[in-house]
Amino acid sequence: MSNVILEVTDLTTKYITRFREDVYAVDHVSLQVEEGKSLGIAGESGCGKSTLALSLMGYYFPPLHYTCGEIIIDGRNISGMDPDDVRKSILGTEISYIPQSAMNALNPTQKIIHFIEDVIQAHDPYQTKKEIYDLARGCFETLGLPAEVLQKYPVELSGGMKQRTVIAVSVILFPQVLIADEPSSALDVTTQKMVIKMLKNLMEEGFIKSMIFITHELPLLYNVTDDIMVMYAGQIVEKASAKEAVFDPLHPYSKGLMGSIIVPESGLRDVKLTAIAGVPPNLKDPPVGCRFAGRCKYVRAECLVTSVPLYDAGPGRAYRCILPEEILREAHKHDR
Amino acid sequence: MKHTLRQVFRSGKFVVGFSIFVAIMLIVIIYPLVVRYPPLEIIGQGTFFPPGIYVNVYDSIGSSTLYTLKLDDASAKRIASKLKEEDRLAIKEWLVGSGLLESEIDTTDTQKLLEQWVNHYDPKKKSPGMTNAQRNYYIRLDASLDGILSTEGAIIAAKNPDTGALEEKGIIKQSDYVNVSQAANVRVLPLGTDNFGRDVLTELVKATGVSLLIGFVAGTIATLIGLSLGLLSGYVGGLMDDGIMFITNLFTVIPSIVLLILISFSIGQEHRGAVTIAVVIGFTSWVWTTRAVRAQVISLRNRDHVNLSKLSGHSIFHIILADILPYIASYVVMALILQISVAILAEAGLSILGLGPRTTEVPTLGLMLNWAFIYQAQILGKWWAYIPVITIIALISFSLNLMNTGLDQVFNPALRE
Amino acid sequence: MKGYVRYFGGKMGWFLITLLAAFILNFTLPRLMPGDPVAAIISRVAQGMSDATGVQAIYEQYTELFGTNLPMHEQFFLYMRNVARGDFGFSFSQYPRTVADVIASSLWWTVILQLPAILVGWLIGNFLGALAAYRKKGFDKVLMPASIFASGLPAFGMAVYLLVVFAVTLEWLPTSGGYGFDMIPNLSWEFIWSVIVHYQLPFWSIVLVLIGGQAIGMRSMAIYELNADYVKYARFMGIKDRKILRYVFRNAVLPQVTGLALAIGTLVGGALVAEIIFSYPGLGTTILTAVLGKDYPLISATALIITLMVLIATFIIEILYGFIDPRIKAAQIED
Repeated sequence: MSNVILEVTDLTTKYITRFREDVYAVDHVSLQVEEGKSLGIAGESGCGKSTLALSLMGYYFPPLHYTCGEIIIDGRNISGMDPDDVRKSILGTEISYIPQSAMNALNPTQKIIHFIEDVIQAHDPYQTKKEIYDLARGCFETLGLPAEVLQKYPVELSGGMKQRTVIAVSVILFPQVLIADEPSSALDVTTQKMVIKMLKNLMEEGFIKSMIFITHELPLLYNVTDDIMVMYAGQIVEKASAKEAVFDPLHPYSKGLMGSIIVPESGLRDVKLTAIAGVPPNLKDPPVGCRFAGRCKYVRAECLVTSVPLYDAGPGRAYRCILPEEILREAHKHDR
Repeated sequence: MKHTLRQVFRSGKFVVGFSIFVAIMLIVIIYPLVVRYPPLEIIGQGTFFPPGIYVNVYDSIGSSTLYTLKLDDASAKRIASKLKEEDRLAIKEWLVGSGLLESEIDTTDTQKLLEQWVNHYDPKKKSPGMTNAQRNYYIRLDASLDGILSTEGAIIAAKNPDTGALEEKGIIKQSDYVNVSQAANVRVLPLGTDNFGRDVLTELVKATGVSLLIGFVAGTIATLIGLSLGLLSGYVGGLMDDGIMFITNLFTVIPSIVLLILISFSIGQEHRGAVTIAVVIGFTSWVWTTRAVRAQVISLRNRDHVNLSKLSGHSIFHIILADILPYIASYVVMALILQISVAILAEAGLSILGLGPRTTEVPTLGLMLNWAFIYQAQILGKWWAYIPVITIIALISFSLNLMNTGLDQVFNPALRE
Repeated sequence: MKGYVRYFGGKMGWFLITLLAAFILNFTLPRLMPGDPVAAIISRVAQGMSDATGVQAIYEQYTELFGTNLPMHEQFFLYMRNVARGDFGFSFSQYPRTVADVIASSLWWTVILQLPAILVGWLIGNFLGALAAYRKKGFDKVLMPASIFASGLPAFGMAVYLLVVFAVTLEWLPTSGGYGFDMIPNLSWEFIWSVIVHYQLPFWSIVLVLIGGQAIGMRSMAIYELNADYVKYARFMGIKDRKILRYVFRNAVLPQVTGLALAIGTLVGGALVAEIIFSYPGLGTTILTAVLGKDYPLISATALIITLMVLIATFIIEILYGFIDPRIKAAQIED
């Protein structure tokens, strides 16, 4: 078993709204990422995956607050660490984040190279500009980006180029874990492919040791990540390897996610296209029982009453449903 | 829509601004119904009468009912109003110069002070270093103090029609009082009169109404022009956009006040009515709205629902009305409020210069200021002629701005605190 | 530097076109009236003038100046030629002084008042607005209402309040004039001090109102920038707040500069009225007396001068903007 780089146990974080209510966007989430492996997190908008990404970094600012749980990166427990320390030693160096719609993540009035200088000097004030430039250039070229980009302003770059620049800048300090939040959602298909190729390349080139890829497109993860986690309403509802999650989803929600997307992959071509009726529950007042019960096709009386834990279904496999595996598989087959 | 309205009225700033504005409008509407004096009636013969309650002296004297009140401080107050602090100090100075010790002189003890004065004053005495003017001052002071302590009443005399001699008709005792509500002629002038002798308060209310009207008309015109130009420029784009933006930039750089001055002067005083001015202001202040609307329209025109309508073959006008207008409604409302505020200030500025509406028929806020400044009210200290006017202008402007800030926060959550 | 050439060229071209348009407007507006403009003007003015020879002289000069018997475009060239020579004709109300003379003496006073006032007000206002956006808590709660109040007040409103409080009631500062009544302009220390003292109230009227407006605007811009994605991303990459703030404020200030260019026209207008309140010997009072005296040439020329001033100021600001926004240079060089 290879080295576990990131270990998260029972992480819970909340938003405090203007009216002083607590919204638990991340509810007792546990996960593990091993060195050299990548983890995909899938779920619809509002399920808490972006919040989870932010929470993993260990840096919280209002209205997001840390409640409980542990985050251990490479043996270091960063939960509850002093924010200034986090900024200095964790962010960017141990764990790095690529935001959603990274296009806007660059300061419009700053040249790329100057931004990189700022980033590097924030962690190591003694690097000279020349050193930084060489480092940046080498990094960019390895990742397939032309060196001229460094001298440009964000407004001069195309959307895809900006996205790839942001990715490159995020890994320039060689973090252990890279969290990519919907890196391809705002792009056209060709650029999407380039971006994903670049991301996969990062691990091969040794820029990062592991990656977390967040998206709402479940089938996309099949080509990118090793393991997949499905999130719903702040909780993890399924954990599986990529292949299992895509071809053999257990939780009714995962199944629904797979069924609602057109996938030209072989084996999935003839799956009927369905939409999942209903909307996610309001996290201000989470329901007592299973959170998916309101939309689940197989709902039973017990589902509404007791909260459902994650059930083990084999090595690296888990799902949050009271129905046993065989019944679920049967039911899913009938739907085809 | 209802939800938006509810949110809007929950915004503290908006509610405060709105209330103030509505209060002013209500006063403008209700006051003339209650107080029926014509606003431009000249009642004061003389300029800048201070605020107060004006009781007709003739009526008080000839009043049938005189009440006797014994008030302890009446005589002290009477003397105090005749012998001001400066005079007392002057008396003290004289006494000290005559050889009295300072410790013996108490300026607050009127009786003793006057005794000392009577004993020591000598009109022929010349103190070293005293100018003629000062000497005359003391002489006058002495004369005015004559009889200040007496308790006799005032005699009313009338001419005998036959002999032409004055005959005593009656005496007004120092303790006689008249009940003001029984006096035949009393006029309350809370804000005094202006330089022409008009009741400032009544004039002010009317002027506010006129200015508000001008503001509404001008603001609406400006918003309509701005809206149309912005929509055309933003949606149609191309040459129309270039052309309209060119004109807009032109109007931005040439200060609107200059334009207003030129146009207003050219029109000539005979033609300058309130509505005409409003129209002129409306036609010169649409710039900001045009820009804002255009920016919004540009960001909207490539949205999916618009494209859908285009594909469906709807005409340009239909698309503009149905797909774009609803989304910029919030901006238009804010623009309208802003334009009204700008228009009222523009009218005020223009009128101060003397280029506003005709002076004979209607007062406007700016016009009242114009009169006040030409007649130098601010230097003479006649604050009631201009401070209330400016306060009203400020209140109107302030309330409108507040409403706008409140609306801005409702429509743009990032600005909320 | 080459990149700038195109930007400046564009702005300069724009400036010239607007200048021409201003001249045309100034020329055509009064002539839109039907009939002989000169006679109309004279008839309106003649009531106030008792000097018959004066009226005649003006009428003749004006007919020549307007060239009302010549076709329109020739009149325009005549007009332009006169303007270029600085010849604006005689002032009706202050005959025999020429208009150019009257304006020259008051133009200087206006410039030394308004230019520093607008600059100072803008700088302080933006600084306070940025501070309020950053500090958020206590300072913001005080600044916002004060700014809303100050910005809602027109410049002349503020002028009057200051006048009443400081000049009439407290008698700390004089109520009017540019310098003491008993003084003749000279370069003595006494005179300069008197000017400084008289300068205070008009100056602060303009500055305070401007601070109010700028503070609100800058605060909104700064809040918007502070919540921008790049700030979050910079934080995530570990960059310190202090550095981020520098960029935030730099980005927030850019639209404020543009805003100033757009608003200068209105600012100057408001400041002129403030001048009137204090009988400050600048262009504002000049216009007032010109209007009172129905002195058409003076009004027209003053309007033109004011427009020119605003145009030049706008032009300078736009040039400056080209220097401080790095994207302008980059965008140009690309071609």
